[in-house]
Amino acid sequence: MEKAIQAAGVTIENLSLAFGTTEVLKGVNLEVEPGEFFAFLGPSGSGKSTLLRSIAGFGPTPKGRILIAGEDVAGLPPWSRDVGMVFQSYALWPHMSVAQNVAFGLEERRVARPEINERVADALALVGLSDFAERRPSQLSGGQQQRVALARTIVVRPKVLLLDEPLSNLDANLRTQMRREILALQRKLKLTTIFVTHDQEEANTMSKRMAVLDEGIIQQVGAPMELYDNPANTFVAGFLGTANIFEGKIEKKGKALAFRSRKGTRIPLGGGKAGVAHIVIRPQDMTLTAPGKKKGAKALDGVVTEMEFLGETIRYEIALSTGESLLVDVSHHQNQKHFMAGDKVGVDIDTKRIVTIAK
Amino acid sequence: MIGHLRNVLGALLVSAAAVFLAVPALAQTGKLIVVTSYPPDTTTAFKAAFEKKYPGVKVEMLKKKTSAGIKYLQETAGNNTSDMFWASAPDAFEVLKGDDLLVKYKVKVKGIPKKVGSFPINDPEGYYKGFAASGYGIMWNTRYLKAKKLPVPKEWADLKKPVYFGHVGMSAPSRSGTTHLTVETVLQGEGWQKGWAEWKAIAGNFKTVTERSFGVPDGVNSGQFGVGIVIDFFGLSSKASGFPVDFVYPTVTTLVPANIAIVKNAPNAKNAAAFIEFLLSKEGQELLLNPKIRRLPVNPATYAKAPSDFPNPFKDSSIGSKVKFDLKLSKNRYNVVNSLFDVMITYRIDELRAATKAIQDAEAAMAGKSNAAAAKLIAEARAAVDATPITAVQAGEGGFNKIFKKKRKKASVKVTGRQADIEGQWDDMVKANYAKAKELAEKAKSML
Amino acid sequence: MAGIAIAIFLLAFLIFPVLKVIYVAFQDPDTGALTLVNFSDFFSASLFRESFYNSFYVASVSVVFATLFAVPLAYFTTRFNFSGSVLIQTLGIVPLIMPPFVGAVAMKLLFGTNGSINLLLDEWFGINIPFMEGLNGVILVESIHYFPFILINLSAALNNIDRAMEESAQNLGSRGMRLFRRIVFPLAMPGYVAGAALVFIKVFDDLGTPLLLDVNKMLAPQAYLRISSIGISDPMGYVISVILIAFSLFALWTSMLAMRGKDYSTLQKGGGGLAKRDLRSWEKVGCYAVVIFILLLVLSPHVGLLLLSFGTIWSYSVLPDAYTLAHYTQMLASSGQFITNTLLYAGLAALFDVVIGTAIAYIVWRTKLPSRQWLDYMATAALAVPGVVIGIGYLRTFNDVNLPFVDGPVASWWFVIVIALAIRRLPYALRACVAAIQQVSVMLEEAAENLGATKRRTVWRITVPLMTGGILAGFITSFATASVELSATIMLVARESDAPLAFGIYEFMQSASGRGAGAALGVIAVVIVTLATYVSHRIIERGKQQQQSSGNVVREEA
Repeated sequence: MEKAIQAAGVTIENLSLAFGTTEVLKGVNLEVEPGEFFAFLGPSGSGKSTLLRSIAGFGPTPKGRILIAGEDVAGLPPWSRDVGMVFQSYALWPHMSVAQNVAFGLEERRVARPEINERVADALALVGLSDFAERRPSQLSGGQQQRVALARTIVVRPKVLLLDEPLSNLDANLRTQMRREILALQRKLKLTTIFVTHDQEEANTMSKRMAVLDEGIIQQVGAPMELYDNPANTFVAGFLGTANIFEGKIEKKGKALAFRSRKGTRIPLGGGKAGVAHIVIRPQDMTLTAPGKKKGAKALDGVVTEMEFLGETIRYEIALSTGESLLVDVSHHQNQKHFMAGDKVGVDIDTKRIVTIAK
Repeated sequence: MIGHLRNVLGALLVSAAAVFLAVPALAQTGKLIVVTSYPPDTTTAFKAAFEKKYPGVKVEMLKKKTSAGIKYLQETAGNNTSDMFWASAPDAFEVLKGDDLLVKYKVKVKGIPKKVGSFPINDPEGYYKGFAASGYGIMWNTRYLKAKKLPVPKEWADLKKPVYFGHVGMSAPSRSGTTHLTVETVLQGEGWQKGWAEWKAIAGNFKTVTERSFGVPDGVNSGQFGVGIVIDFFGLSSKASGFPVDFVYPTVTTLVPANIAIVKNAPNAKNAAAFIEFLLSKEGQELLLNPKIRRLPVNPATYAKAPSDFPNPFKDSSIGSKVKFDLKLSKNRYNVVNSLFDVMITYRIDELRAATKAIQDAEAAMAGKSNAAAAKLIAEARAAVDATPITAVQAGEGGFNKIFKKKRKKASVKVTGRQADIEGQWDDMVKANYAKAKELAEKAKSML
Repeated sequence: MAGIAIAIFLLAFLIFPVLKVIYVAFQDPDTGALTLVNFSDFFSASLFRESFYNSFYVASVSVVFATLFAVPLAYFTTRFNFSGSVLIQTLGIVPLIMPPFVGAVAMKLLFGTNGSINLLLDEWFGINIPFMEGLNGVILVESIHYFPFILINLSAALNNIDRAMEESAQNLGSRGMRLFRRIVFPLAMPGYVAGAALVFIKVFDDLGTPLLLDVNKMLAPQAYLRISSIGISDPMGYVISVILIAFSLFALWTSMLAMRGKDYSTLQKGGGGLAKRDLRSWEKVGCYAVVIFILLLVLSPHVGLLLLSFGTIWSYSVLPDAYTLAHYTQMLASSGQFITNTLLYAGLAALFDVVIGTAIAYIVWRTKLPSRQWLDYMATAALAVPGVVIGIGYLRTFNDVNLPFVDGPVASWWFVIVIALAIRRLPYALRACVAAIQQVSVMLEEAAENLGATKRRTVWRITVPLMTGGILAGFITSFATASVELSATIMLVARESDAPLAFGIYEFMQSASGRGAGAALGVIAVVIVTLATYVSHRIIERGKQQQQSSGNVVREEA
């Protein structure tokens, strides 16, 4: 699509919004770089869709500022914002053909008819639907409808592209394919893109950076790996991947630091500050040893209560003597011996990888 | 400002036109809007003849039921667009006159007598004019009577006979001005108590009390009931339309003039006057002889052209002259009579019918036997049915009547009592009496 | 802005005129002071209590009969592959178009004590069934006349049920009547209740039918008789009007309350409509027998009308004596004006109704205007106002108003008839428009706004086109019922040349020679409206097919 789109940054300052008495967004601050592929990740009800919709200008008027390319759009109606949005359901108009759907935004912008025809053809070519221009949306498959929705949005060259759960209505195979197509398209057009998802795999694979939301508050912003490795709080830790989270106190005895959970499990630590804290241990950062075999000096004793075969790994649930339990992942290989429920095991923790979150 | 200018211009134009057109005497122009209760058979004939005579005038007949027509003129009086009111019942005109909605007019045509039967043709005060006369009578469906093996009724009293139980229909006087006159005529002829007893005896045989006066000929025409109490032209025009029906004037009947009047502030008063003159002229009067219109002309000379079987009230004294109709008395108790009829008959027709049936059955069982106790019970039952909540004196009393009046001119006119309250009391009494009559008659029958 | 304009329109042409009429109910007839004494008079009079009971009884039993007519027609046509479904649905709506007077006359000729059916019964079996006696007649005529309201709403609801609902019940072992009773009917309940409430209210308020059958002891006729009697000042007529309006609003409110949170059909969509299945041949015979019986019964007034219009004399006989075209020539000679007036008035009124209905539906469902629900309530309240009250209210309100371009007072201008018709039929169009807008996903509108279309442009290019089917359905219902309206019109017609068809029929039916001509005019009315209905049905059906599966896509996310 030839003419490169001038990428615009999005800045959100202190944005709050309530439906009646229910506060949905509570003082959101965020900076999205021009040309960046950014994700809003969070469970349902976290406010991520509401945040996306307020950028587009839908829903109640929020308090605070929304800057697009430096201009505050918070008071503008949706049609004056120049923000392209692809809806979760695609929202294709059933009474118009594919070409009419795509031409709509250009017509509303009073673009001359020859140019409209040209740009519609280009947009449809870009998404590979040139042969479907005269079809009705109802005659297309889910993936094709998704592409029409994309074409319809990018044809108007918006400053920012918003995608609301773009892959949720597609089946697994198509999802992977569309993921790649959207990414390729975004790179080609260099469009600032924000998409909303509840699926961390989608967010991880597609976005450069992401914001994790919960209860109307941005919990943490950063690159996917960064957030996984260094969660700022227990919510982020628990929401991204699987995590064993313990609440307790870090105690210092001489030089040795150790964590004591509320129920009394004691785990030695490599570093940290004394005081009340949470610790996060990822399941893959532990190893299991059979009883009788030599185990690390600091290993904990436990009993296998559940075994789940996940493919690449086997996930064990281990009951500790204190009554707490742990999830431990062991990579799986052909014909490898594994533990069964009831087996006594020792749990070795790679203490260097324990993340401590101070209260 | 502009509106004012328009009015001034309009007035100038009209007066200019009036001056200009005054020269040829017959030249009339513009419109004539007539609010009428008459059927198209009547109105179209007169409209056509009038327009033929005055080619410049366009006549519009606005069909309204009499009561709706009055309501319409009352509600639109502030900004009137109608020229004339043309209907049968003199009482309707009395109401309009009372509300100051009519203007006086002096007829130029000569040769119209003062009275038809015992009824004055014109309003003594000069507001409305009679143009034809109509009489009440009995209409019946010949197929119906034949199929049910019923005799042909000739007199009002015939309709009281048990043989007609469930076969008679009539309209309520509160719905139809002419029906009201019939009710009032019998009340005046027979006296208050006896008159009501007479009506209730007839009403006991009713199949239905229709809401519209035309409902009666309609019911007889289609055979819903066999016998109807109707105004003559309904019966005669139905017969003329081919329905298997016939009509008779009973010996005691009333003749009522059908009337026309000019509405106050009529936009086309000149044309209205011309229409009255036309109605009363020779050609206008002769139109009444048309079998689909069938009314009795008020100009005695017209009868020379009538068919031989056409009744002539000016010669045949048996029509409508037995009762000396007291117009003032009728006017005074107008609403009370209507209300009483509705309370005693229209709204309690089922109860009245049940009581009547029981009495008729008891009397049939009594035939040829003698049982004093049973006879006494039957007489008591009759008396219970006949009882009327108020006396003639009460009914005619001015203060009492005001409760039922449409408008009080001033707030200072004081009335006590509410219509609904009074009607409620009457209703309770009537209902109890009918129930009692039924019980007594059934008891009498069980003794036989 | 539009919201305020509509509110002013409704206040000026509905609320204010009605208040102007009914305030009399609160005046002491002696002193003119404000009082409630008239209401205590009402409740202490046994006549009025009986009238109230009769009205309630008639309305309730009419709902029962209307249900018996509507349920088989709706169920068979939505549930089975049934040839002639569109025809049946169209014929099923025809009873709504019963021209005044002639309908009742025709029913009396067919079902009356001495009507065709009873004459035959008497000849064959020596019995006489009182179909038309007293309240029976009112119930029969009303339930035939108004059952289409249930048919329309129930069919729509049945069409909206997710096929999976029925299939999962079958999967769990439910079938036949049990399936219908436990799954299908509860799911269609909201549509049924909406239709039944409408029938109840219309019957409760209806004036024409009881009057024509000479039944006085019901509320509406009592009100009318008292209001229109010559020179009577009794406020009871107005008291009854107030009670009619209040009770109808109460019924409306109750039905809304009963259905709150039970509108399953809009929540669960996907399959789209009951699974249609083929009938076995003996089932087919049974179903057709039932359908034909019902259609014959509900169309009998129209059959009677047809006979009346072609018959020479029909009096105390099974059929007319002979047949003729004379009534049609008589009618056509004088009635051209009536027909064009009717098309103009009913067409304009229905147009206003869908414009206002769409606007109200949009304001209520798509905006956050404060107290916007009241627009809906106000417009719906028109349902509960007897036509006579509107007619008199208009005369009282607009007779002293003059407009520069109108010859004479506004109350006697023909356009007032159009407004009265529009107000009276607005609730029908409004319900259709509300249903239509509820089917349009908000996202479709947001997508347009997102692409640069303003609210106005979005409404014009997206919302209204997607509502077309519903809007058209509203237009038809308003048009069809407005074209035979009489009770408000009769008060407002100021010139014969301005009179609509219903008025023309009324005029004809006042004379013995006009009965056939009136029936002929009635036949013309029915034919015109039926054709219009059928054509638009076809247009809606075609539109539906075009958008069928796309509708499902939109629903998936709902």
